[in-house]
Amino acid sequence: MLAISGACRRIASKLAPTYPVKHPATKCPTQVCAPMASPTPCYHCGLPVPAGSRFHAQVLGETRAMCCPGCQAVAEAIVAGGLEHYYKHRSESAANPQSLPQALPDELALYDRADVQQPFVEQHGELSETCLLIEGISCAACGWLIEKHLRDVPGIAEAHLNLSNHRLQVRWADSQLPLSQLLKELRKIGYAAHPWQADAAAEQLQRENRRAMRELGVAGMLWMQVMMATMATWPEFNIDLSPELDRILRWVSLFLTTPIVFYCCGQFFRGALRDLRTRHLTMDVSVSLAIGGAYVAGIWSTISGQGELYFDAVGMFALFLLTGRYLERRARERTAAATAQLVQLLPASCLRLDGDGHSQRILLSELRAGEHVLVPPGALLPADGRILSGQSSVDESLLTGEYLPQPRGVGDSVTAGTLNVEGPLTVEVQALGDATRLSAIVRLLERAQSEKPRLAEIADQVAQWFLLIVLVVAAVVGLAWLQIDSSRAFWIVLALLVATCPCALALATPTALTAATGSLHKLGLLLTRGHVLEGLNQIDTVIFDKTGTLTEGRLTLSAIHPLGELDSDACLALAAALENRSEHPIARAFGRAAQAAEQVDSIPGLGLQGLVEGRQLRIGQPAFVSQLSGQAAPAIPGAQGQWLLLGDSRGPLAWFVLDDRLRDDAPTLLAACRARGWQVLLLSGDNSPMVGEVARQLGIEDARGGMTPDAKLAELHKLHAQGRRVLMLGDGVNDVPVLAGADISVAMGSATDLAKTSADAVLLSNRLSSLVQAFSLARRTRRIIIENLVWASLYNGLVLPFAAIGWITPIWAALGMSLSSLLVVLNALRLTRSPNP
Amino acid sequence: MPALYILIPVAIALVGFAIWLFFWAVDSGQYDDLDGPAHSILFDDEDPMHKAGVSQAQKPDEPTDDEAPPRA
Repeated sequence: MLAISGACRRIASKLAPTYPVKHPATKCPTQVCAPMASPTPCYHCGLPVPAGSRFHAQVLGETRAMCCPGCQAVAEAIVAGGLEHYYKHRSESAANPQSLPQALPDELALYDRADVQQPFVEQHGELSETCLLIEGISCAACGWLIEKHLRDVPGIAEAHLNLSNHRLQVRWADSQLPLSQLLKELRKIGYAAHPWQADAAAEQLQRENRRAMRELGVAGMLWMQVMMATMATWPEFNIDLSPELDRILRWVSLFLTTPIVFYCCGQFFRGALRDLRTRHLTMDVSVSLAIGGAYVAGIWSTISGQGELYFDAVGMFALFLLTGRYLERRARERTAAATAQLVQLLPASCLRLDGDGHSQRILLSELRAGEHVLVPPGALLPADGRILSGQSSVDESLLTGEYLPQPRGVGDSVTAGTLNVEGPLTVEVQALGDATRLSAIVRLLERAQSEKPRLAEIADQVAQWFLLIVLVVAAVVGLAWLQIDSSRAFWIVLALLVATCPCALALATPTALTAATGSLHKLGLLLTRGHVLEGLNQIDTVIFDKTGTLTEGRLTLSAIHPLGELDSDACLALAAALENRSEHPIARAFGRAAQAAEQVDSIPGLGLQGLVEGRQLRIGQPAFVSQLSGQAAPAIPGAQGQWLLLGDSRGPLAWFVLDDRLRDDAPTLLAACRARGWQVLLLSGDNSPMVGEVARQLGIEDARGGMTPDAKLAELHKLHAQGRRVLMLGDGVNDVPVLAGADISVAMGSATDLAKTSADAVLLSNRLSSLVQAFSLARRTRRIIIENLVWASLYNGLVLPFAAIGWITPIWAALGMSLSSLLVVLNALRLTRSPNP
Repeated sequence: MPALYILIPVAIALVGFAIWLFFWAVDSGQYDDLDGPAHSILFDDEDPMHKAGVSQAQKPDEPTDDEAPPRA
């Protein structure tokens, strides 16, 4: 419950440092500027260091450049704690401290309240114990850093980080160290922590994981014993076995195989039953038939004391299949853990105003409709409501896709989950929780999820044919042998079923998918659902969102138009000096300044004013800036983007145009989509001409702006009704219903948590070009799966005649099965090699 | 091969014990994190105690002041 909102993070990432435009000039008016030459990466977080950065830290005996004060502070804290070896051992750059959700000191202090702690902290005498979910972990060295740092903090008895799910188990003395202080310690070395409570889903996941591990271990250990006992009865290995011992060995094998069949293989039988009920012949049916058949025949053979034993084949089959499924589960879960954060779109706490105008920080759950809340600039609105006093602009891009903050004043209504940008607002709460507009979108998401179509899997289609063929052949062979030699008929049919058991066939898909998932992870694309890779080959339509997906989703400086004698570089330096003292998101677009401005005042809704080198300057609204010189305000020359005027006491100096910028690799992605013949749609919630402009630049013919979440979902249903397979790429809350309902959905790494959890894949790297590589990897995966399936069917087809004429003994069945499985696995491993062949 | 009459029950008992041990290990959470421990061994080399021990082993007669942990 108590989580810093996910939306905060997205906003924080919007505020990630931008870099001064080196050659702004008039060459690129309102157009996208060419990317600059890559600057040095920050030693701590790997983001580019802006030119002229003043931030440095001594790490491992050298002075390293840092991009921002946050990175510098974290690096210095790490070095001061004697933990600089972290930098030597890490395999990935750390997360930028500014990209972590901000936590207000008084919000952290709420965690020290006993009633707030009660649900997630356990008391063991002197010590308290809790589980924290850590954000910002990028590699194994982070785990070492966190544990090591915390163990040196007085008051902490034990700290253990689970790298697979990013959870930190910590025991500490609450009397010596309040919880808020512990959270601050983590923040000091660059990680954000939230109290974490296991919900039903997480507990179930853990139970399932442990059960899968147990099934795998039992199958492995028992199979080895069964193999020894069964093989001892084979004449190839044992020529002088007494009939008495043969009997004993058979019973021992039966005894040891029984748990494998009933404990380990339960999931195959359950799956088969489920599929048979829905009248599908799937891989599970095929697998169950082979295991069940061999086991039942083994019982018969044990009791009667004659005939072949296939118990070792049962064990091997079970172990191989369980291993394949376990690896697939792990690959999926590791990626899921990296994105699994708390789905919280609202702030954890808010400032309530009482009758005398005093504000008090309370938990969001304590807020009631009709109360008044104070929303400072930079904070998220906790509830739907109406503005009572204050003038500001509100960033609603997460909800509507509008990329510019919208001006809001007294009497206007505001929506929960949006960001107050400029001035403090007093809001009367009208709707809370389930009644908010935000919740309405979440409900839409649930509906879309239940209607999501299921893409067919190749393996199941092949399994269907395979099973039919094998059953028909087995029936024909059985009938033929009944005519020839009825005593051998049963054993030959059984040998046929075991020899053709689809071990390699069943491994063909999971191994290929596991290998490909690993390769994609390296590219920065995390698959959270299994069907993405196969499904990518069936796609014929792509829907793009605009803000934050095809564009950067934050304001950047796109052009400077000098008006006076100063050139654009000089104007930029002056503007940056002023803007550097402001917290407004616009300010970030100006980069870091070399000079410092003095006496800077921010006037909400109008602009900034201050002194640079003794010169009185103003930047912002034209009327406000022109007031300084007493001249008439010049008219804004363009329509698109946000135009800011810079001026001094003698007159206007320059126009700055701020705009959302197209991602550099968006054209590559569009070209790749078109090369595959996919229909491309742009559906944006943004109402501005920017939609048309982006569509024109990328050559998208079908672009629609001002779409509500419902309208987007309706469009998806229309496409589905036409029989189209849709890929959706988006990031905002307004895309969430479509993400949930599309055949395949990809969320950007900078997306809201809700978008990430409802998508099938997350583009962590935010590089659209990774997606292009994923498309080609999906093709290669499909090829490998088909190769595997062809090989496995070929092998089974080859042994069929030999089994039919009665030449196959258990030893040949076992040998063939392991060799074909090995080949399939090795073939799948080819996918782990470089994704660019 | 009368030895088998003893060896087979022993083998079954052993595998039973191994499975019990394995279940206990899984239930106590030892298999929950399969990534962390694989890396944590690399960091043991940086442990000040370990470093002091290594230098002690290499030069048993010399005092280890200069290699002592910087902040312990």
